[in-house]
Amino acid sequence: MEVVLELLFIALALTLVGVSYLAYKKSHLRAALYFLLAFLLLAIKKVVELSKDALRVQRDVSAIVDALEVVVMILFLLALWKR
Amino acid sequence: MERRNEILDQIRRRPGVTFRELARELGIGIGDLQYHLHKLEKEGKVFSKKIGRRRYIFPAGFEEEAQRLVIAISTETRRRILLQLMEGPKSQGELAERLGVSQPTISYHMGELEKLGIVEVVREGRSVIYRLKHDPTLIARIIRDYRPSLWEKLADNLIDLLTSMGEGK
Repeated sequence: MEVVLELLFIALALTLVGVSYLAYKKSHLRAALYFLLAFLLLAIKKVVELSKDALRVQRDVSAIVDALEVVVMILFLLALWKR
Repeated sequence: MERRNEILDQIRRRPGVTFRELARELGIGIGDLQYHLHKLEKEGKVFSKKIGRRRYIFPAGFEEEAQRLVIAISTETRRRILLQLMEGPKSQGELAERLGVSQPTISYHMGELEKLGIVEVVREGRSVIYRLKHDPTLIARIIRDYRPSLWEKLADNLIDLLTSMGEGK
């Protein structure tokens, strides 16, 4: 069940990447570009978390995940600030 | 050959006509029309452009105008603005109220339409009035047949959401 939810999360994040890309292509709004990057990083973050569990990756990925979360937050902030 | 000239004349009379419309207006079968259009495109007399889910046909020499129109009607709010302006000139406040969107969103879209030369801005005292600067028949025809995909609708909503937060770019 947990895996299904995580896969759903990735699918939704990638959908939002597609929507943001189309919005950026149509409008060239920088905020749309920040959204695109933020959703893409969220999807990558989830893939990292999922692969850690599924492939039993030995290395500690928590630093990568935390860093991705911080970047995502910065991108959302930039999208609001640099409209 | 006579048939092909008839098709070309109709496209020149009605630039931006869709394939289906053309077939209906001229009473030509789909296969026949496809054949002649292919020949006309190869001869460089007409060209077609996909806008949304439809393909529109334009006569040669219309390239720049077609491109401007494609951008002009590429979002839902812009199409609604253009339809409103067909009824007559309107101010930013009036458009925002009628369409139920924020003034910054209207301001962003009007700026884009002005850059494209589709609308013009007239200053009357303290208010800014917008009016169409383009052939309304052509715009109406393209908007009427425009069928956006679900992706486009979502992207249009995101653009409006982002522009409503402030001043566009």
